[in-house]
Amino acid sequence: MDNFSPGSIQPKAKKTFGGKTSMGVTCVCQVPVAEGKSVQQTVDTLHKKLEQLGAVKQGSFWVDCETYHPTGNVSGQPSKLLYVMHNSETPLSCIALFEGGPCLIADTNFDVLMVKLKSHFQNAKAHKVECRGSRYRYCDFLIKVGTVTMSSSARGISVEVEYCPCVVPGDCWNLTKEFMQSFLGPSVPELPSVFAAKPEGLFAPSDCVDTMTQYLELFNKLRKMQIPGSNVR
Amino acid sequence: MSGGPAVRVSIESSCEKQVQEVALDGTETYVPPLSMSQNLAKLAQRIDFSQGSDSEEDGTEGEPRDREWSKQEPEEEEGTVKFQPSLWPWDSVRNNLRSALTEMCVLHDVLSVVKEKKYMALDPVSQDPTAGKTPQVFQLISKKKSLGTAAQLLLKGAEKLNKSVAENQENRRQRDFNSELLRLRSQWKLRKVGDKILGDLSYRSAGSLFPHHGTFEVIKNTDIDLDKKVPEDYCPLDVQIPSDLEGSAYIKVSIQKQAPDIGDLGTVNLFRRPPKTKAGTQLWHVKLEAAQNVLLCKEIFAQLSREAVQIKSQIPHIVVKNQIISQPFPGLQLSISLCHFTGEKKNHRASPEKPKSDDHLYVLEHNLHQMMREFHKQQLSSVVMPHPASAPFGHKRMRLAGPMAYDKAEISSLQQSEGLLEKIIKQAKHIFLRSRTARTIDSLAIRIEDPQIQAHWSNINDVYESSVKVLITSQGYEQICKSIQLQLNIGVEQIRVVHRDGRVVTLSHQEQELLDFLLSQVSQFPD
Repeated sequence: MDNFSPGSIQPKAKKTFGGKTSMGVTCVCQVPVAEGKSVQQTVDTLHKKLEQLGAVKQGSFWVDCETYHPTGNVSGQPSKLLYVMHNSETPLSCIALFEGGPCLIADTNFDVLMVKLKSHFQNAKAHKVECRGSRYRYCDFLIKVGTVTMSSSARGISVEVEYCPCVVPGDCWNLTKEFMQSFLGPSVPELPSVFAAKPEGLFAPSDCVDTMTQYLELFNKLRKMQIPGSNVR
Repeated sequence: MSGGPAVRVSIESSCEKQVQEVALDGTETYVPPLSMSQNLAKLAQRIDFSQGSDSEEDGTEGEPRDREWSKQEPEEEEGTVKFQPSLWPWDSVRNNLRSALTEMCVLHDVLSVVKEKKYMALDPVSQDPTAGKTPQVFQLISKKKSLGTAAQLLLKGAEKLNKSVAENQENRRQRDFNSELLRLRSQWKLRKVGDKILGDLSYRSAGSLFPHHGTFEVIKNTDIDLDKKVPEDYCPLDVQIPSDLEGSAYIKVSIQKQAPDIGDLGTVNLFRRPPKTKAGTQLWHVKLEAAQNVLLCKEIFAQLSREAVQIKSQIPHIVVKNQIISQPFPGLQLSISLCHFTGEKKNHRASPEKPKSDDHLYVLEHNLHQMMREFHKQQLSSVVMPHPASAPFGHKRMRLAGPMAYDKAEISSLQQSEGLLEKIIKQAKHIFLRSRTARTIDSLAIRIEDPQIQAHWSNINDVYESSVKVLITSQGYEQICKSIQLQLNIGVEQIRVVHRDGRVVTLSHQEQELLDFLLSQVSQFPD
């Protein structure tokens, strides 16, 4: 995947300013709603488990995703959708990506730019997906449990686990998986395809783009899941 | 015959012959030397006849000589003429000589006219007969007259100046309200509301966020009896400042060893004698300045107390009435208090200790004022130019926050988060640490006689860092034994010692640690 950052050439290695840690390795997975329970109840169960483990609640988080259809001549093939996503972890940025294609990390002024490009990219307002929830910190791990909603109807539960000290997925995947097992139980996911799909494989450093790609995959899956038969593009 | 450098016309041939060609067998063929006429022609070309105006005597002599030469060789062709190759080489010489002759004849005629006076006579131009030697008395009279006119002019000017000065003094006595108002307006902001004149003495236009209105009112002083003599400091203008800004105030920052009793807190209300007013400043100016100072002190104290309450620190700060107490080091107490003196009566409830003027750290008070004003300035102009049209205001690095996907930790590290109180506590810590280090070193130097301890303090310091160089030498053996040199960098909470050989030791703020370390260095000194 190509990464474009306007205004600067982003080197592969993460820059740290003032010794602060950059983003670690993230894994986003979906937790199925427990049998006979509502989404909210499942989320509460997860919160309880985390608190029992010893995690400390540290505020809330949100991730959202807006879809844009490119207008103009489509030469037969279905046009690729543009997704613009925001993350509360990087409050001053927004990430624009095509599924499986190039992606861009930009300032929040990018949203205004998209408004100006109304004639070329149409906002599909009905397809806006949001994920909100609380944020827990357990030593070096950052766990975010959120409810995925699309047009104010809850569609599923997402869990994001970030191991902050490490940036290389190959080094810490096993540790992360073991940690997730401790509170997620049986619904532990496999290694996210994002890491494996990189040209350098598992040992390339990961950044926020990987996180957002995982979220996008999850949102798309959830979107397709609950609307059977409708015209989903 | 030429006026300038004399050229010798010589016909002796030089002994040296120029070599024209060297044959294969070694014989040399010489260039045939110039013949007499050729030589002469060459040299005559170098004579500059146009310079001959101041030595006509030489000219008359040289003339016939050259005429002889030209008669002898009239037909010589010369190939070395530099200019006018078509004419014969003596042409220029002849022309110059002819012109010289003309001038000579003219001169001769003039002289003969002057001498003989037969056909013409010289007659001087008639002059004024009275332009001769004038009598001295007349000179004196004329000088006196001219000086008199000059003096009259000066006197007239001086009279005018005297009159205007006298008028000015009259005016000052009368004190026009409007002119005084104009003077006030030149230094303070005024506006007219209805029929009242209000002014603004707050720092709001300079960037302050303090919610005090800072409005003062200008009133006309009409209680004057024109019949009686006008008092010296009479002013037709008076200002009425808000009641809570009356008097004078200052912020007292002091570091004390012992912790005070709880009952003593909040009773610090020492006052300083108000500064002497400069002669010439108006009463309203003094009043307004004092009120502005009170306002600034209040703002500083409000900011400090707000931070003391909000910011969580390991040892909480105590805020009591007009005093903030915090503990920079264990056993030490920093107290910042707002001392506001209002009214005429002296406040006899001074704290039990006599006002120790050396207790008050003037430097920190000044720094507080300075930091507050810096904060104002930052509020006012937080734009760094040149500025991209689409970027948000603030720190330059923040523009990168979006494209580089900074997380919250990185963003907060970019934004300055240190408040006024934290800064002043750090500065106080540093000052205390520095003075205690100085005392320790000095006491050790006095106590120990054998290796001598010298301390050279650096003149240029930072608010958070100072440095001193400690030398331990032995008298008489400075060259033989290597002296121990230690560079101490005194920071906010630690002292870093750098040896001469590069070892770095970090000491904490404990006095004993520094003392032990110095003693160990002294003992290492070879006897």
